Amino acid sequence: MAGKSGREISATPKGGITKILSWEGALILVFIAVIILGKSISPNYTLNNVLREMQKYLPEIFMMFGMGFILVLGDIDISVGSIVCLCATLTCIAANAGVPFILAALLCILIGTCCGMLNGFLATKFTELPTMIITLGTQIIFRGIAEMSLGSGGSVSYKNSKDIAVLAKKIGPFPISFFLVIILGVVMITVLSRTTFGRKLYAIGSNKTASYYAGIKVQRTRFLCYTILGTLAGLCALFLLSALYGANTTTGQGFEMEVIAMCVFGGIATTGGKGNLIGGLIAAFIIVCLRIALGQINMNTQLILVIIGAMLIVSVLIPQIKNALMPKKQKV
Amino acid sequence: MKKRVISIVLSAVMAAALLAGCASTGSSAPAAESAPAEEAAPAEEAAPSEEAAAPEAGAATYALITKSAGNPYNEKEAEGFQEVIDAMGGTCIIQHPEAATADAQIAVIQSLISQGVSSIAIAANDANALSAALQEAADAGIKICTLDSDVVADSRATFCNQAGVQEVGQALIDAVYDLTGGEGQYAILSATSQATNQNAWIDSMKAISEGDAKYAGLELVEVAYGDDEPQKSTDQTQALLQKYPDLKVICAPTTVGIAAAAKVLQDQGSSVVLTGLGLPSEMAEYIGADDAHSCPYMFLWNPIDLGRLAAYTSIALVNGDITGAVGDSFTAGDMGDYTLTGLADGSGSEIILGPPFQFNPENIDEWKSVY
Amino acid sequence: MKEKSLWKKITGSREVSLVIVLIVLLAAVQTLSPSFLTATNIAQIFRNNALTMLMALGMLCVMLTGGIDISITSTLAFSGMTIGLLQKYDILHNTFLLFLIGAVIGLICGSINGMIVAKGKVAPIICTMGFMYIWRGMAYVISNNAWASGQDVAGFSDFGKDGAIGPYIILIIAYIIFFVVMKWTKFGRQIYAVGSNKEAAAISGINVKKTITSVYAIMGMLAGLAGVLSVSIYASAQPNMQYGKEMDVIAACVIGGVSMSGGRGTVVGTFLGALIIAIIAKALPLVGISSIAQNFVKGVIILAVVVLNVITQRTMDKQNLSRREI
Repeated sequence: MAGKSGREISATPKGGITKILSWEGALILVFIAVIILGKSISPNYTLNNVLREMQKYLPEIFMMFGMGFILVLGDIDISVGSIVCLCATLTCIAANAGVPFILAALLCILIGTCCGMLNGFLATKFTELPTMIITLGTQIIFRGIAEMSLGSGGSVSYKNSKDIAVLAKKIGPFPISFFLVIILGVVMITVLSRTTFGRKLYAIGSNKTASYYAGIKVQRTRFLCYTILGTLAGLCALFLLSALYGANTTTGQGFEMEVIAMCVFGGIATTGGKGNLIGGLIAAFIIVCLRIALGQINMNTQLILVIIGAMLIVSVLIPQIKNALMPKKQKV
Repeated sequence: MKKRVISIVLSAVMAAALLAGCASTGSSAPAAESAPAEEAAPAEEAAPSEEAAAPEAGAATYALITKSAGNPYNEKEAEGFQEVIDAMGGTCIIQHPEAATADAQIAVIQSLISQGVSSIAIAANDANALSAALQEAADAGIKICTLDSDVVADSRATFCNQAGVQEVGQALIDAVYDLTGGEGQYAILSATSQATNQNAWIDSMKAISEGDAKYAGLELVEVAYGDDEPQKSTDQTQALLQKYPDLKVICAPTTVGIAAAAKVLQDQGSSVVLTGLGLPSEMAEYIGADDAHSCPYMFLWNPIDLGRLAAYTSIALVNGDITGAVGDSFTAGDMGDYTLTGLADGSGSEIILGPPFQFNPENIDEWKSVY
Repeated sequence: MKEKSLWKKITGSREVSLVIVLIVLLAAVQTLSPSFLTATNIAQIFRNNALTMLMALGMLCVMLTGGIDISITSTLAFSGMTIGLLQKYDILHNTFLLFLIGAVIGLICGSINGMIVAKGKVAPIICTMGFMYIWRGMAYVISNNAWASGQDVAGFSDFGKDGAIGPYIILIIAYIIFFVVMKWTKFGRQIYAVGSNKEAAAISGINVKKTITSVYAIMGMLAGLAGVLSVSIYASAQPNMQYGKEMDVIAACVIGGVSMSGGRGTVVGTFLGALIIAIIAKALPLVGISSIAQNFVKGVIILAVVVLNVITQRTMDKQNLSRREI
């Protein structure tokens, strides 16, 4: 039973599967609705255009997978936006100083990994501290380091932009980052739902103490998850560079909230132990496609944020409304 | 089973609600933005690059991307831009990005590429990070000019400069010279450390004062950054006053910073005086020659005119009257003729709106209601 | 004997480690900038950070129930923008009424938050994240790209002017009320009870949903008040005001020893935490750290303070334990 997937270990095992399946079903319906909406309000909502506009958002989805792990653990990481900024900045500086592209790219991911490890180290050494406050501290620190390395200009360009443009290449209408999202998606979804490691995350997220006594190396697992998220943030920075050709002190600002919103809209609870990445992936595409559709009719950008905020609240309220409507039938 | 059916019904309802909700806001929003989707549509049909460059201004769609929403300075730019485009019979799209970052502007640029607009005028939030997106737009046949804040020269045709960097630097350092009485300490309160314009003006001020013996008595004690936040600007101003008791003048070349500093100085009744760049409507309260006011005079250009210049430049670019090469010239309606001049580093061209305008106690009442 | 137990009480209290941290911080700043501890400076510290200090009280209540509210600065902007515009378009200029309207707007925003969290059983961070976008967006929409500036709020801004006592009075009253309510009233104890153990609280007859709704409503009201105060102190209203500052408020609470899982935290601790954040903000430009490095140093100090607090706490617990063994 439990071996089949991690879902059964969620805090509410009863009816868990149908609940989650139907949530994903609903997400797919919403996704289709968004596409229809886009088609009907904008004549420019074509596959080519949507995929091209999507390229800016795809790197964020990389981080969604890592954030999913962290949220399932019941932790949170609000420093990812700053990690992206730091990675992008240092990579530009290194590449401009003559470091070959491949090395610079590796450096970018490596910096992300290191930042993730620092988060993980602090989170596991000082377990009394909520991870939100630790990553708030590192959020300011990482961006601070980026600010210091950028100096008074505060902005750097990737001089040899031909190198980095390789990552923005397309296969057919599909950008490389799109395939990377799919590959990462398959890997991360499998890890979370089909492996022991994944099940450990659900166990820790549901009850840390119990998992500890059950022999799970709680702190080591948490450390690993922060490291994974850091690495993905580095990867995100690398692909973001291919869409920017430069970095500045505001690069990646607000990414943490967007990524968390994707996860939550996808059904991953911030309280830990619940949800899966399939939902997160669909939710990510819903948000991105909706943004693109509303952008194409030049809607007030602030109003778009209001709509996304409202969607987020409605989506978390639905399970409650459903429960409120159904108690009688459940008893039958 | 029943549970699943119900949940599917529910989600369908949610999807429908979402659809309805978005559709209704969708139809109301363009009205506010005065760029109805229906009007944008025909432009796209006529779009593919060459055709868009057809001489009549009426068939084309001109877009303006400001630095951020919720800022009257940007709104005035947009007003001027819209006024000209409407008068010429073109379709005008004005988009404020969701945040004052290059990231947010890229999303808007990409969307405009999809819509097949004829030109984009953009006030860049970063000089470097927009290159890739602007290049893509140029490849799609869209004419690009910048206003207010430039990007690297090869990602745009030309730059509508509100005032030459040199002129602004000169005006500011002369103001400092005048207000200090020729010698003494002064400090600069800037926006963020990466603000392109502010950095250029400050560098220019430094260069002028170092290169001319006239300014030898002036001592720049610090460049502080208030990040265009009232709170941080207040903290920084108070710190400047405390750290340098002999300070005579604060120069704040940013609209948020100057207003915050003006408030601090005026509240404290400080003997330090203020100058810089500010919006008359924001600064009216603080401008005056007596001790009760903190700012004797300041400078700015007319953001409405800047928007209008950007509009005329966009039209000229789309019509093929100019290509962005140095020496090109065109007629900007009733604003007169403008010629493209070379940038100091020789990398591209710019159009200079005119010298910065001085706001003083005599004319502030007249201007505070304009912008 | 009595002395000893008092000593025990002092060393055992969470606030002591904070006071130690505060003293270390102050000593460091004072050495680097000898003119730091002057009357004007201290007054400015409170005035410039009045918003953080005020909202920290609400955040304390929210966090005591195990929740969090990241929509507060959006509520602040919405309320501040509204009262700014009321003055800009000459609809209302009465200072008292403006404060009242700001507080009511905040109260409504907060109550909606609270009802969704309590009745909808939605994770607080998610609910308030949604409203963070919504209220901020509303502030932008109603502003219609205009600011309310110095001349618009002319008479009103005298209330929060440098040297005026307005902000201090609001702060003092708020802290006294909260100190009394949290320590000696039924409502205050109910908040602690709900945060420590929801089930137990419900069984013992506390209306958990009502308590949770009220803490968010209180938080909203304080954020609304802070919005009005902000317009008064800075003499301007902009839709992006205080953007991102909710993290400072949360940091102030956590530094002040408020537990994010609920049930633990005091008004005094919150005050000390907010004071530490305020001192950092005030001291950074003064001690001669280059402006580019200021954010980095701020992050390091925040992290160092919370870590230091944990370490002090650990040693104290250990000492207390060994003393008990003896």
